[in-house]
Amino acid sequence: MTAYETVIGLETHIQLNTLTKIFCACKADSWEDAPNTNICPVCTGLPGVLPVLNERVVEKAVLLAEAMHAEVQPISYFDRKNYFYPDLPKGFQISQFDVPIALGGYLELPIPAAADPQGKGYVTRVRIHKLHIEEDAGKTKNDGSERQVDFNRCGVPLVEMVTEPDLRTADEAAQYLLRLRQLLRWIGISEADMEKGNLRCDANVSIRPVGATHLNEKTEIKNVNSIDSVREAIRKEVERQTREVEEGNTIKAWTLEWDQDAGVLRKMRSKETEADYRYFREPDLLPLHVSDEWKRAILADFPERPLERKARFMQDYNLPEYDADILTLERGLSDYFEAAVKAYGGDPKKVSNWMMNDLLRMINEDHLDPAAMRLTPQYLAELLKLVDAGTINMTTGKALLPQIQESGKAPARLVEEQGLAQVRDDAAIRAVCEQIIAASPDEVAAYRGGKDSLMGWFVGQVMREMRGKADAKLAKEVLTELLK
Amino acid sequence: MTEKEQAISPEVFDHLVQLAALELDEQQAEYLRRELNSQLSAIRELEAIQLDPETPLASHGVPYDEHNSPALRADEWQACADVDAITRQAPQFEDGYLIVPDIPHTTLE
Amino acid sequence: MELCDLSAVEVRDLLFEKKVSAVEVLEACLARIDAVDGRPGTLDPGPETEEDTRRVHAFITRTPELARAQAEAVDKKIAAGEDPGPLAGIPFTVKDIFCVKDTPSTAASRILANFNAPYTATAVERLQAADALTLGKVNLDEFTYGSSSESSAFQPSPRNPWDTSRVPGGSSGGSAASVAAGEAFLSLGTDTAGSIRQPAAFCGVVGLKPTYGRVSRYGLIAFGSSLDCPGPLARSAKDAALMLKAMAGADPRDATAATLDVPDYLAALEKEVKGKRIGLSPDYFQITFPQANGEYSQQPVPEEMRAAVLHAVDIYRALGAEIIEDVPMPNTRYGIPVYFVISRVEAASNLHRYDGVKYGYRTQQAVGELKDLYRKSRGEGFGLQPKLRILMGMYVSAAQYSEQYYRRALRVRTLIRRDFEEAFDPQGKYRLDALLTPTTPTSAFPIKDVYGDSVLMQYADQLTVPANHAGVPGISFPAGFGADGLPIGLQLLGPDYSEATLLQLTHAYEQASAGAEWRAKRPAVLEVH
Repeated sequence: MTAYETVIGLETHIQLNTLTKIFCACKADSWEDAPNTNICPVCTGLPGVLPVLNERVVEKAVLLAEAMHAEVQPISYFDRKNYFYPDLPKGFQISQFDVPIALGGYLELPIPAAADPQGKGYVTRVRIHKLHIEEDAGKTKNDGSERQVDFNRCGVPLVEMVTEPDLRTADEAAQYLLRLRQLLRWIGISEADMEKGNLRCDANVSIRPVGATHLNEKTEIKNVNSIDSVREAIRKEVERQTREVEEGNTIKAWTLEWDQDAGVLRKMRSKETEADYRYFREPDLLPLHVSDEWKRAILADFPERPLERKARFMQDYNLPEYDADILTLERGLSDYFEAAVKAYGGDPKKVSNWMMNDLLRMINEDHLDPAAMRLTPQYLAELLKLVDAGTINMTTGKALLPQIQESGKAPARLVEEQGLAQVRDDAAIRAVCEQIIAASPDEVAAYRGGKDSLMGWFVGQVMREMRGKADAKLAKEVLTELLK
Repeated sequence: MTEKEQAISPEVFDHLVQLAALELDEQQAEYLRRELNSQLSAIRELEAIQLDPETPLASHGVPYDEHNSPALRADEWQACADVDAITRQAPQFEDGYLIVPDIPHTTLE
Repeated sequence: MELCDLSAVEVRDLLFEKKVSAVEVLEACLARIDAVDGRPGTLDPGPETEEDTRRVHAFITRTPELARAQAEAVDKKIAAGEDPGPLAGIPFTVKDIFCVKDTPSTAASRILANFNAPYTATAVERLQAADALTLGKVNLDEFTYGSSSESSAFQPSPRNPWDTSRVPGGSSGGSAASVAAGEAFLSLGTDTAGSIRQPAAFCGVVGLKPTYGRVSRYGLIAFGSSLDCPGPLARSAKDAALMLKAMAGADPRDATAATLDVPDYLAALEKEVKGKRIGLSPDYFQITFPQANGEYSQQPVPEEMRAAVLHAVDIYRALGAEIIEDVPMPNTRYGIPVYFVISRVEAASNLHRYDGVKYGYRTQQAVGELKDLYRKSRGEGFGLQPKLRILMGMYVSAAQYSEQYYRRALRVRTLIRRDFEEAFDPQGKYRLDALLTPTTPTSAFPIKDVYGDSVLMQYADQLTVPANHAGVPGISFPAGFGADGLPIGLQLLGPDYSEATLLQLTHAYEQASAGAEWRAKRPAVLEVH
């Protein structure tokens, strides 16, 4: 039996999180709005209207191009893509065709061991063919034998980004989307929520015998609205194509639609060739000039990319890959970490531990924005220093985290207000230890009889008696001496 | 003009009509195809022109530069004053939606 | 001479001097409309009557109530001692290709017959803001596709006020006819290949196609988006200057509307002609006509057209202008073939939106699926001329033909533009301020004579269309009458944004010929009446 390999190219449509639509002053985000209320003459294609380009759209597209290492074109053009569909009020989509805003680029894609058939994990590079700016269409949905049309989404700005056919497994496709989503949020140009359609993906899928270099006829899977669905839809389609080829059938260039609920692919219209779109320059818009000066201004605060930051965290702070990966999943979190490390000055791994164990849980449970927390990186550092100095113990420290977040008060102040400083007075601890030993004759006998593990119990009793404020190390020393 | 010289044959014409989403009666179709071929022979005059391949495409006649080009639009929201006046124009509008007939789909086995 | 036959500038002055009221001016125009216009165009006209053949039929929709309310507001302003706008109390008509809020905006097509625009075009909005009075929407070729106004879905179509057996030209035929007949002082038209200048010439009025982007296209129902220019039709250069000043300028809703300052066109009229360089080109004294056998023949323009140009040359020379002869404009002859390609591609795309879903006409027949709805709605809603443009646009922009036709046409357009750049180059050989040409190859042709032959009809625009390709401004002004008793128009073409010069030269010609016998002639519809 022939072994096949899968060839996948992804076309992603990225909704930009501008305030307004691409060519008119309606809101870009109308997720909560009633149908056909976020519309105006321009985005509904009334006779006589004209598009006027939103400058923030260009700025966000340039940020994305930079993130993808793509080359921003000093002059690009808008074109009309002509076709009939009820969600496209003008009967054409304003898009970019032969000279788009950016060309080339790539995304480095670490594939985790779990997604590697060899179980080892590897890194692959997915090349980007082009990025272009275009307007979104409206939405249609079936209602019995009729179809309902909602124009609220018409004219929402999109960047369509097309990869080269460089992906080889459904898992790689899923990883690409995960990393892209991370990047989009990192540079702040899209909410990138697939369920809300902020990030949409069409997958071009074909198969070929392993070792072949040609590209076979492909099918295009549309309407996949989660990363898991992309993985599942591609797997299903690869299975289907393999079956067809093995039965001696040819693959036709169909457009398929993923039905999420039924978990099946449906065939849409037979794929139109590009010739039928009759692209031509949009005469209502001037060529788009992105001068070096403008580009410099847009990129002035361009951040370090997530994978670069991850590598630097491992290098500079000696973090394990696992920690570095999690701390760079989100830009605000990684900024937090770095600020805390700087303020702390001690072992970065310690900061990482506190963040991975405690802070992340708080952030996730309460949907906190790391950049806006009252528990600032400086407070976290201060808290760690209090623990290091033995002013408070670790348990007290961790218990203080939610209190700092709630009150916004400095850790030292809370420690003082609540009298939480550790008792380090040898005499006070000695008195309590003596009291515990006197009250626990059985345990003392057992300990002296060789059950060393009871030491923990004794320390615990002392801590309880002193409401957690005793210096545990000191208590242990005293107990050891007294129980000799 | 002989049938052979007509670049827009009945088959090409039918394809164009499909793409254009037009339903035509026979008389209209005959007139339109005749006029198309006649216009096309006028257009063919262009083929004789010696063109330097470097000649740029002119999408507009008037050049635009920093002196006459409008700025791009600032990203500022302004709600439409009368949305109903737009949806009121729709031939079929129910429950907040424009209504069109169904678009057929096929399920794959 | 009645109130409605004065110039807009004269009426404005009378108004400011409180010698007439805006309502009186309006009533004069409404009375003239009643007397000469006949019934407005409708979708369902029934048979043509004998009376129909003697009327102008400029209108599709009349809005006398709106105009009256505007007139009363102007009178109130004047009575209160407030400054009224620069077009206060001047009644004007709007080619029904512009959207005007709460008014049917039909494009003279069945497919938009029931469309009520929820917004007003920028040019109209500015005229209204200048306190002009909106008389209504005037007829045109369907979607502006024609040069005779006969292709309107709203019949009877407009007739030429000088001879109602003749077409008024087109596509701004209703505009030119309404101004010529004294129904309105001014009209807002559009020019994509000559659609302001050709009907202006046929009807004996002034028509100005501004530089592309000088007047906002927002609210103009698009034909050829890279060619369309809104512009004024008026009975004198002065009135055209007044109107252009009110509507030109940048518009945040049109990304192609130039951001240059708008000069005071009225003030510029009185400048000296002395030292102006006016060119003549042999390429504008010959015309190409397609013959019945499919061949093309070149022949000189009719002698009376040439004579009118030469007479104007004498006038300008006498005023101190320099006349530069033999300016080569070798690509003029490609204007029509290039136009056949570019305008059709843009038109086909612009007409995609009319599909029976959002507004306008939807088929009454039962439809099974969506495509059926599209085909039937468009099949029934569009007339033959839009269909022809859609199909041609589809053909020449198809991927396999685009290089051969569309992209080639855009390159030839560059050549046409270069002809003008060389002629107008201030450091060049010719250094022209304007090029003087006939506006049309013929005077107004008889109704039904050319209609139906889409190629011959298009060639009526061959002397006007190059300016649309190049984007440069052009003006047509009356220069006497032919042996057939019909007006002859002359055209001045100038460099980008030189409207002030074109208006000035036109004004100078008007002043110099003010005493000529032909100036006293009145349109036939007025003599009968």
